[in-house]
Amino acid sequence: MSGEVADPTAAAALAQWLRDATRADAVRVTRYARLSGGAIQDNWSLDVEIDGGTLPGAHRYVLRTDAPSTVASSLTRAQEFAVLQVAHAAGVATPAPLLLCTDPRVIGRTFFIMERMGGIAQAHRLTREPALVPDARALVRSLGANLARIHAIRPPRADLDVLPAPAEHPAQAAVAALRVHLDRLEDAYPALEWGLRWCDLHAPREFDVTLVHGDYRTGNYLVDAGRLTGVLDWEFAGWGDPRQDVGWFTARCWRSHGVDLEGGGLASVEPFLEGYASAGGRAVSRDDLTYWQVMAHLRWAVIALQQARRHATGAEHSLELALTGRIVHELEHEALRLMMGVDR
Amino acid sequence: MMTDISNGIDLMATARESLLRDVLPALPADRRYVALMIANAMAIATREADAGDPATKGEATTLERLLASVGAAPDDAALATAERLRTLRRAIKDAIRAGRFDVPPHAEALSAGLLETTRAWVAISNPKALRPVAGPPALHRGS
Repeated sequence: MSGEVADPTAAAALAQWLRDATRADAVRVTRYARLSGGAIQDNWSLDVEIDGGTLPGAHRYVLRTDAPSTVASSLTRAQEFAVLQVAHAAGVATPAPLLLCTDPRVIGRTFFIMERMGGIAQAHRLTREPALVPDARALVRSLGANLARIHAIRPPRADLDVLPAPAEHPAQAAVAALRVHLDRLEDAYPALEWGLRWCDLHAPREFDVTLVHGDYRTGNYLVDAGRLTGVLDWEFAGWGDPRQDVGWFTARCWRSHGVDLEGGGLASVEPFLEGYASAGGRAVSRDDLTYWQVMAHLRWAVIALQQARRHATGAEHSLELALTGRIVHELEHEALRLMMGVDR
Repeated sequence: MMTDISNGIDLMATARESLLRDVLPALPADRRYVALMIANAMAIATREADAGDPATKGEATTLERLLASVGAAPDDAALATAERLRTLRRAIKDAIRAGRFDVPPHAEALSAGLLETTRAWVAISNPKALRPVAGPPALHRGS
């Protein structure tokens, strides 16, 4: 294994902390390097050799910490760690969470360590390279079943009391939260406003409240040898209407190159819903899909506007952020098409 | 019209062609993404230079008509188009939140008007995302 230690001071502090946390005789950090991806969190690969203690042996970990700039409404690392522990214990395919460190003296910020899983996450590859996904229907089916296992986790739970209490009406609460974000921007967005009004007027009267992942989509899970290994990026998890995750996963804006494939850009929606039902997920109607896909486009548009604003205000000068602002128009357009029933 | 010296739109388009043809193939795999982002930004800026003003004027006209239909047109005659559009967008936001467009025929008219204005902006930001709507405008035909 190629040893690369990007920050020897932090690596030494981590070795010391790991030695104490696992009551080991000795800990050697053989690799500590930033991983790609993550506009909101910093992810580092961390390889260690541990002598004795509770985790002896050579390990490949991911260290996840807060990035300097955070997006409003995302979880802290400590909250995310708690969610990951509950989800992993419930049999959800996700990296095993190992240790949480809230002591800022170690590397300057709170972080946690989790298992590093194999596989590819990039949506643009998974939706364009058939060799990576030889049986797309089977993969999408397992993604549906896996989501149902997340949604089987329901409040109240003492081990998730770090999460904000569930809203009385999740859809209306989502609309209200998006309006708050829109009101912090310079300009007004008529199509997003009309979409939110539509979501308010068509809010479901009946709903379950479960754990929702909040960013369950192609690009946020790992696929190894064509199979799902683990779901990543739990920073938007919380209590909500489970159909929010179904709408997000199936929304056109997350299908990458598989734009006409409603099952995450990989297959039709049917195997996804079959898998979801097979693991206990409640039935999702065509109208439910439309409603939560509209919500998905509105939510992504608001996040994109926040990201664009980070560039526009000079907080973080970035071509990628500037271009993210330019996707808002197609998200608005897609939401309108869905509302008007001219699309799916 | 033929001119002797390239205008800004032609310069940008030609520079983009050169980036994609002469620079992109020589880049290592992990830098190609950056070059493609630059090419995308240049394409958007080129299309905006060409179609941004008509899109701004078109949206302002549409929003003004929609606001007038619910009796909520702001008094903004003195403003330049771009600033007028910002005012109109704020006015329509307020009218939407106040429920002025909730009922027929205002709801259908607003949906159709906004579909048209967003379409003009998508034609600038990402024309590949535009797909034809089958048949004549089919409003609220249900899903």
